[in-house]
Amino acid sequence: MKLNPLTARKLRRFRSLRRGYYSFWLLIVLTGLSLVAELLVNDKAIAVRYEGEWFFPTYADIRLGDVFGLEGEAGSTPVSYRELKKVFEAQGGDNLVIMPPVPFGPYENTAYDGILRATPPDAGRGHYLGTDTTGRDIFARLFYGFRTAILFAAAFTALTYLIGISLGCMMGYFGGLFDLLFQRIIEIWSNIPFLYMVIIIFSVIPGTYSITARIVILLTIMVLFSWTFMTYYMRTETYREKARDYVSAARVLGAGSARVIFRHILPNTISTVVTFIPFTVIAAITYITALDFLGWGLPPPTPSIGELLKQGTANLTTAPWIVSSAFVALVFILTVVTFIGEAIREAFDPRKFTTYK
Amino acid sequence: MRMHDPKILAAAALLALLAGCGGGKQEAGQATAPATDNTAEVEEYYRSKVKVPGALWEQLERGEITQEEIDRRSAAGEFPKFFRYAKPEDLPADLAWEDGMDLPEIGSPEAKKGGTFSFFIDDFPRTLRTAGPDANGSFRPYILDDNAMRFAQRHPNDTSIGPNGFRYFPGIAKEWAVDKENAQVFVRIDPAARWSDGEPITVDDVFFMFYFYQSPHLRDPWYNNWYNRSYEHVTRYDDLTFAIGVPERKPDMASRVLELEPSPAHFYREFGPDYPERYQWRFKPTSGAYMVRDEDIKKGSSITLTRVPDWWASDKKFWRYRYNFGRIRLSVIRDTPKALESFRKGELDWFAITQPDYWYEKLPDSDPLVQGGYVGKTVFYNQLPRPTYGLWMNSSRPLLDNRDVRVGIQYATDWDRVIKEYFRGDYVRMRTTADGYGEFTEPAIQPRGYSVEKALESFARAGFTKRGPDGILVNDKGEKLSFTLTTGYDYLRDVLTILREQAGKAGLEFRLEVLDGTAAWKKVQEKQHDIQLTAFSVSPEMYPRYWETYHSVNAYDRAFLPDGSPNPERKPKPNTNNLQCIADPELDRKIEQYQASEDVEEMRRLAFEMEHIIHDNASFSPGYVFPFYRTGFWRWLKWPEDFNVKISRRSEEYYLSWIDEDLKKEVQEARKAGKTFPPILQVYDQYRDE
Repeated sequence: MKLNPLTARKLRRFRSLRRGYYSFWLLIVLTGLSLVAELLVNDKAIAVRYEGEWFFPTYADIRLGDVFGLEGEAGSTPVSYRELKKVFEAQGGDNLVIMPPVPFGPYENTAYDGILRATPPDAGRGHYLGTDTTGRDIFARLFYGFRTAILFAAAFTALTYLIGISLGCMMGYFGGLFDLLFQRIIEIWSNIPFLYMVIIIFSVIPGTYSITARIVILLTIMVLFSWTFMTYYMRTETYREKARDYVSAARVLGAGSARVIFRHILPNTISTVVTFIPFTVIAAITYITALDFLGWGLPPPTPSIGELLKQGTANLTTAPWIVSSAFVALVFILTVVTFIGEAIREAFDPRKFTTYK
Repeated sequence: MRMHDPKILAAAALLALLAGCGGGKQEAGQATAPATDNTAEVEEYYRSKVKVPGALWEQLERGEITQEEIDRRSAAGEFPKFFRYAKPEDLPADLAWEDGMDLPEIGSPEAKKGGTFSFFIDDFPRTLRTAGPDANGSFRPYILDDNAMRFAQRHPNDTSIGPNGFRYFPGIAKEWAVDKENAQVFVRIDPAARWSDGEPITVDDVFFMFYFYQSPHLRDPWYNNWYNRSYEHVTRYDDLTFAIGVPERKPDMASRVLELEPSPAHFYREFGPDYPERYQWRFKPTSGAYMVRDEDIKKGSSITLTRVPDWWASDKKFWRYRYNFGRIRLSVIRDTPKALESFRKGELDWFAITQPDYWYEKLPDSDPLVQGGYVGKTVFYNQLPRPTYGLWMNSSRPLLDNRDVRVGIQYATDWDRVIKEYFRGDYVRMRTTADGYGEFTEPAIQPRGYSVEKALESFARAGFTKRGPDGILVNDKGEKLSFTLTTGYDYLRDVLTILREQAGKAGLEFRLEVLDGTAAWKKVQEKQHDIQLTAFSVSPEMYPRYWETYHSVNAYDRAFLPDGSPNPERKPKPNTNNLQCIADPELDRKIEQYQASEDVEEMRRLAFEMEHIIHDNASFSPGYVFPFYRTGFWRWLKWPEDFNVKISRRSEEYYLSWIDEDLKKEVQEARKAGKTFPPILQVYDQYRDE
């Protein structure tokens, strides 16, 4: 793809802003890793070699213990690979279990001295950030919680921008009655308190909905109440661009409204859009964390940063590692995204690269 | 923190029924409503009210007859009068009057009066009323349940069952007599008995109590129902003597009458259709020790109770060593962990630390406050009917209507792990639906323990033999063995996650749903649940109730066809306590026999048989029982030698403790100076079962 020289210069500028640039890569790597979280943080083994045959349980159907020669209750229940590893090691044969670096799942309750309680970080046991109040590994819950949050934020950003940009551009481009009407609708709509809507809607949807369905509903509600802010910027930008000669030229050549908006105007307003993206991501992560913290977010036992924060504040004095892990993780993510945002804003700042001298 | 859903509490607690009345003050804001007088209306009610037999109520509920017909028949004089008048000489001569004065004293003679006791409530009371909308909140025990006096009260230590039921000690009543033959109880009110505004308590207040609780103005159908159906008549002999009739001669019939608290007629002159608003912030005069003064209501932040000056019962046996605090200040702290911090600072005098995380982690024995002897920790084993924490399965739902599935769920529910690893082995497994009723609890039943093998066997019998890709069992039709497990107790969220993990091993999926208390209660009341983790709070009654929870009329409308086979079109009946939708003709027969029985022995036999049927039915998975409560308190809060009474549910229910002001100063100064005391770590197991 051949980049517009202007865009290429902006990207070069972005790359030269080290802090933002490295933050960007850090976030990409983290997100990438979280997409394969099952291979890194999981109670299922990455690979098992049993009597010469290889198994890869991570993404496969659940296997019962008898597949690996376990007997009794262990034979008729889903395999505990950590236990299996011990069994194989005791047998001393060729059989092998390769566990992920963090061998705990986000839902697993592991007892400490026979008691399910919050235990402090202990690298020896593999709980790098300790466990929460029911003995679940905090690192695992944070990692999976991060994945949910970042994917949620990505989806949220994409959807709000899709709606916000389309409507904003149309308002600016068509103007007149259309613009007037939608401005009023947006004013009314944006005055509906979003949090109450979430609470009301979540109190009526049945708990039988799957977790995915609930996340989609939450996403839909949040998008429905968040797309409006983008329209203001796009509307003014479009108004400005519309009056320029190239737009008239395109229209003279016979381009339709859609083509003019999306092929001609939009690329010229894109810098506004881009600078906002990181901050929208931050808002989305903050929202979903806050909702989980308040208990209106994802249903239990879904791992989430907000839920950990809530647990942490309830056990502030007795288990400070819960709240500190969650807090540090949240601040870290938000800071990284903010650095990216700052860098993008600076790189795309028209005052530096303006074509109008 | 509230342990049980307040609504469930309302449904089950007998003490709750015996509720309250109001006091004679007007708040400035309320005074705008013009004063009204209901005297004429009340008099007319006393004249015309009749007792409609229970059988007709049931027919009316089933829609077999109409209200109009009942009204017509009442007008025709078919039914007996409810309010009756007699002369003192009409009193039967052979009545055996008792006054319970031979029972042991309650509390410690060393108790000192005075001081301000500080504690917290999690929400500011929505009203000072003790009945009607919003009245049943966490504040009500302070002005009603634990404070108001009854005619007589069950002795909290002597729990033996005598010929007239439990042993009672006198409150408002001076003496009473049980007339078994005619199913009535005679009561003579103590001539010294006074409301907190100084008015004497008389039979007028007893009559008015029935008017009050039977009235639709109360907007509390539960009370309406109870006071209409559970009493036959009230008869006045003189200003202080009356009799109340009950429909059945049950072994505990005396308790239905003796545990009532009259309602002050003079205070409720303005009782009418606007009762909820008019009386919202008026404190009803109380017979008990503590009252609320207008100037002590700081809306949203705190409310303070004051000991009634010259309380009429303050020197009476059973009462003189109780209610020792001069004032009780309740601040609103919405968050329990925050309240604990407040307690640790010495701003609250005691704290309930029954839950293991509080006992072991948040206030451990090793805590400097405890080691320094500033804060004491006690375990007190009590003995009383236990709240029924467990899984209530709705057997009208698909799959759950199959007994093999239910038995499988029982085996797949790992209460053992919850108790051992989460509750740290302190709690014990519940065995039956009626644990803690003493001789009424069937000793032979053992609950089903966690066993993947037995669960799988049972699920296999129901056709669930294969595991799906996620390890959950599926049957040939492709149905997944998956149920929603709901609870309204946010603090039990962790228990659910443990149960879910363990059930997954046996191929059973629980989809968790944590709702707020009201929504969860609504769900079970509409019988919309699959499986619910909930509990009925039970008060110290003599024998368990089965009709409400297990009779088929509370499961379905027309559960059976005339030939006795299940009605294929039956629908679960909403707003009843039969959460399992059990409809078993044999159980029905036994429940009816049990209800009709007047014999303790027979009732016990029936109760045991019913427990076996319920155990076999397997739709209730008994959870856990905590046979004690644990308390943390500042050193200056003193307790009787045996700490508390046998049937207490928390340490401040019977008000036996007192504040030692001198010691308080000493402890506060010692804390500043770094001086320590010997730690107070006590276990009181004199009432421990087993």
